[in-house]
Amino acid sequence: MSSFQWTRKDLLSLYDLEAQEIEFILDTAAEFKKVSARKVKKVPALRGKTVVNFFFEPSTRTRVSFELAEQRLSADIVNVTASTSSLTKGESLLDTVRNIEALNVDLLVMRHPVPGAANFVAQRVGAGVVNAGDGAHSHPTQALLDLFTIREHKGRIKGLKVAIVGDIMHSRVARSNVWGLLKLGAEVTLAGPSTLVPKEFESVGVRVCHNLEEAICDADVVNMLRIQRERQESGFFPSTGEYARFFGLNSQTARFLKKDALIMHPGPINRDVELSSELADGSRSVILEQVTNGLAVRMAVLFLVAGCLKK
Amino acid sequence: MDNRVLLKNAEEMSQAISRVADSIISEFGVDGLADVALVGLYKAGVPLAKRIAEVIKQRTGAVLQSGTLDISMYRDDFGQRSALPLIRETEIPFDVDNARLILVDDVLSTGRTIRAALDAVTDYGRPALIRLAVLVDRGGVEYPIRADYIGWTMQCRMDRKILVEFSEEDGADGVFEVAWQRRAE
Repeated sequence: MSSFQWTRKDLLSLYDLEAQEIEFILDTAAEFKKVSARKVKKVPALRGKTVVNFFFEPSTRTRVSFELAEQRLSADIVNVTASTSSLTKGESLLDTVRNIEALNVDLLVMRHPVPGAANFVAQRVGAGVVNAGDGAHSHPTQALLDLFTIREHKGRIKGLKVAIVGDIMHSRVARSNVWGLLKLGAEVTLAGPSTLVPKEFESVGVRVCHNLEEAICDADVVNMLRIQRERQESGFFPSTGEYARFFGLNSQTARFLKKDALIMHPGPINRDVELSSELADGSRSVILEQVTNGLAVRMAVLFLVAGCLKK
Repeated sequence: MDNRVLLKNAEEMSQAISRVADSIISEFGVDGLADVALVGLYKAGVPLAKRIAEVIKQRTGAVLQSGTLDISMYRDDFGQRSALPLIRETEIPFDVDNARLILVDDVLSTGRTIRAALDAVTDYGRPALIRLAVLVDRGGVEYPIRADYIGWTMQCRMDRKILVEFSEEDGADGVFEVAWQRRAE
């Protein structure tokens, strides 16, 4: 067994991690998944530690998942959202964070619309920082839960063909998945309209294609991203109806899929736009398992960073 | 840098494991072994529990239930270190409620691992009783914890550490003493 040890106090982006570190988190998460299946769904690891959930952007599922993860680790929790923070009074991000740190908190879980916000804070505070999404940059725990779910079903990541379909350009989920999947040896295809999936992405070592059939026909995993309706208003695609016809996964287009392909979605789903109800609720869908695994992965991440706070 | 000193060889180790197994058999009786379960604590408690179960099976024919326990989530020094090792697989494939559990570890030292193990295992249910089996009781417990079944009792200086190795994990059986720096508190 590996003698590798975890030493980071922050989790900011999968881009920063070695493959070995990503696998270490996934292995740790497997043990935390069992905790949630017990009668006593809680361990004392973070007893006496305080976690601030700092959400400068609306979020329900990620925030609930982090909160529950913190509770199951026995941490004390404070929730701060943009509308309740002094940022609305003009305080800078750094001042807000420093004031919170002065209260002796141990971990900050942070979502912020600006790419790099979590890195900026992590370099300036002693508390551990977990990035829960920073603009279009990174959402490491989402990618980790996707990797965990794929590995649980397929037994491995290396050599798998994974297609990510949708608005890649604006998606931190896509970026984080690309980094994680490539590091663990998967072959990644990004697909969607050329306005949302520029060819330039090929420079990082993925395949880009603008045709759904071509993207998914040999895929072991298809990850369908949410199409944000406001992108239509900005002219990235003509209508959701047309998007659904060309890039939506439904009973017509699913004919191209391999029989054992996994269907994933980070949620919330626009039913019958990027993914039909029939497939979202069908036997190949692992969407609700992704939610369950998200809790386990977040417990693992919080446990690991909290365990390495001492300088 | 191999400064370790062999304390017990494979033959002596096998005899000590048999002594532990015999104490368990004599406490519960052959008929009473049916609802006894061995829970090995990582790392060396896991192969030790297997060896004890083998001896009990040879002697009595009884096949004990068994599980493994990792106490990483229950340690009292969590957050005081700068690196974390991988959590190993906890597997308790039997109902802990009303079971008679024997925790198995290689060495009883400060008692802190056992304190954590008591918390961990009782999160799985409410056992009828919990006992502790160790191959080596080295002295120096810091908590009010004692072992019930013991291979050897030894006095060991606090700047030395006892290592128990098993052929299935380390290539050969043996008990060693090495120089050791206790982690700064």
